[in-house]
Amino acid sequence: MYGTQSKIDHALEYQAQIAILRPSIHSRRANLTVKFQDLYGFTVEGNVDDVNVLNEVREKVRERNRLWWALEASKGANWYLHCSMGEGSTSSSLKSSLKLSVLTNAITLKKLIRQGIPPVLRPKVWFSLSGAAKKKSTVPESYYDDLTKATEGKVTAATRQIDQDLTRTFPGHPWLDTPEGHAALRRILVGYSFRDSDVGYCQGLNYVAALLLLVMKTEEDVFWMLAVLLENVLVNDCYTNNLSGCHVEQRVFKDLLAKKCPRIASHLDSMGFDVSLVATEWFLCLFSKSLPSETTLRVWDVLFYEGAKVIFNVALAIFKMKEDELLLTRHVGEVINILQITTHHLFDPDDLLTVAFETIGSMTSNTISKQRKKQEPEVMKELDERFRRLNSLKI
Amino acid sequence: MATIGHNNINAKLVLLGDMGAGKSSIVLRFVKGQFLEFQESTIGAAFFSQTLAVNDATVKFEIWDTAGQERYHSLAPMYYRGAAAAIIVYDITNEDSFARAKKWVLELQKQGNPNMVVALAGNKADLEDKRKVTAEEARAYAEENNLFFMETSAKTASNVNDMFCEIAKRLPRAQPAPNPAGMVLVDRPSEGSRAAASCCS
Ligand SMILES: Nc1nc2c(ncn2[C@@H]2O[C@H](COP(=O)(O)OP(=O)(O)OP(=O)(O)O)[C@@H](O)[C@H]2O)c(=O)[nH]1
Ligand SMILES: [Mg+2]
Repeated sequence: MYGTQSKIDHALEYQAQIAILRPSIHSRRANLTVKFQDLYGFTVEGNVDDVNVLNEVREKVRERNRLWWALEASKGANWYLHCSMGEGSTSSSLKSSLKLSVLTNAITLKKLIRQGIPPVLRPKVWFSLSGAAKKKSTVPESYYDDLTKATEGKVTAATRQIDQDLTRTFPGHPWLDTPEGHAALRRILVGYSFRDSDVGYCQGLNYVAALLLLVMKTEEDVFWMLAVLLENVLVNDCYTNNLSGCHVEQRVFKDLLAKKCPRIASHLDSMGFDVSLVATEWFLCLFSKSLPSETTLRVWDVLFYEGAKVIFNVALAIFKMKEDELLLTRHVGEVINILQITTHHLFDPDDLLTVAFETIGSMTSNTISKQRKKQEPEVMKELDERFRRLNSLKI
Repeated sequence: MATIGHNNINAKLVLLGDMGAGKSSIVLRFVKGQFLEFQESTIGAAFFSQTLAVNDATVKFEIWDTAGQERYHSLAPMYYRGAAAAIIVYDITNEDSFARAKKWVLELQKQGNPNMVVALAGNKADLEDKRKVTAEEARAYAEENNLFFMETSAKTASNVNDMFCEIAKRLPRAQPAPNPAGMVLVDRPSEGSRAAASCCS
């Protein structure tokens, strides 16, 4: 996903197939790099061990599938669609006995989702649990069609930038990088730029929408997923004119790192390394440019159910996993190398999510909201001062 | 380690400029010798390193390739803080990108490190028939503002290495480290980077 733009090389693919069948000690020693396609069609580069991990992940996905179907059989079809954790759930109108079952189901579901939603069920589960379905239901059936028709042929600053980015979004992907893929992505991004003119188009959303397309399949559903993400799941103003929401998240993240990984934080601090240098992209692309696809989507499984605090858990986990190595670094370049190699090779989502939710420990949405509140005025002040300084430069 | 009499310099370099001007392409050309017709858009910034041998010194560039969209502007100070050099890139086929480049120049003059070596790169020089910004205009502007100017093409590789060489030569020698660990030598090559290139001088 991350910049391996070349079209699939058949010779190498063949090599990868062999590796899948019989990873010889020989090739392990040689540490051969092979190119292969992952579950979502991205060409990735890795060594033989990576190929094996990815095969194990495929097997785990199949197991999860069986588990979800079994639960569906015992708890009833679509049982998980009634477990929304957010406010506005209908549980108040239910009898208390029913409430209890809802609650146990919600607890089961939270655990299940952290273990991963099977890819085939993702469209349905995400759409419902994220609140996208509800959002869609508040407007006329034809909203999206009307929007795309009304905006067709309109040219704005946002549409020009979107057009520039279509071929620059996961280039080389077998579906996204086709005229059909570009057209779908364009309608979603253009449509959204008209829905919210404060956001318009922000680079980063192209990657998020593209990956959503691969999961949701239906263009209109992607539009609503994007809407619920920007309007409800993430903090406000992550993508608006000066990215103030993103600045707030970065400050909160730095505080959390100091609290949860104090040794790393103080070591990096002493080197003059600002973690936002790398973390900004993680937050704006929701890891889609740094983690392998299934790992990214496992993060999104939890994100859509538990909310934006999940991004902190995962970002902290990436640092935590490499604590020992990071403490030995003496140079900015080394830190970035470690983080890049780590994220690019996290083919097993469980390696990451176990650290994110067990080692890092829970952080309530409430505490995080408080921290955001604390940072907001300072971010505003800083951005405002900068804006005034820059304006005074103009002659 | 450094041989006697040999100068080893670590230099933080930042690329600034409009979205799509070719910042990432210039870096990719310099670091890996490649060009992609469709280069992924940069979010936040991307980091690269590359070592260059100039006659009296080895310069290790730590390159921050930033995102060009206007709203990412608010992130830029984090990347140019403490930089020894900057390349401000515009696209010769796009006048707006030249206007944007001038804004960056102004900002660096006021906010950046005063000893920063600043280069202005008129990129996509291979697209002569679509040219909107003349070399004369850009050169005159560069002279007025004490920048060093080159037209480049990441696609054909024209002037890309030369520009980095020229920057390397202009870096102040025995430079007081801009960041606390500035003079620490790292022998490990970064992922995928080429071996040290050298400047033809
Ligand atoms: N013809 C030609 N095209 C170029 C040249 N340099 C870059 N391009 C193309 O212009 C497009 C944008 O290049 P990038 O290097 O991604 O531009 P950028 O400045 O990094 O853009 P952002 O990351 O969005 O800020 C790509 O599709 C490149 O292939 C060049 O020298 N000549
Ligand atoms: Mg770029």
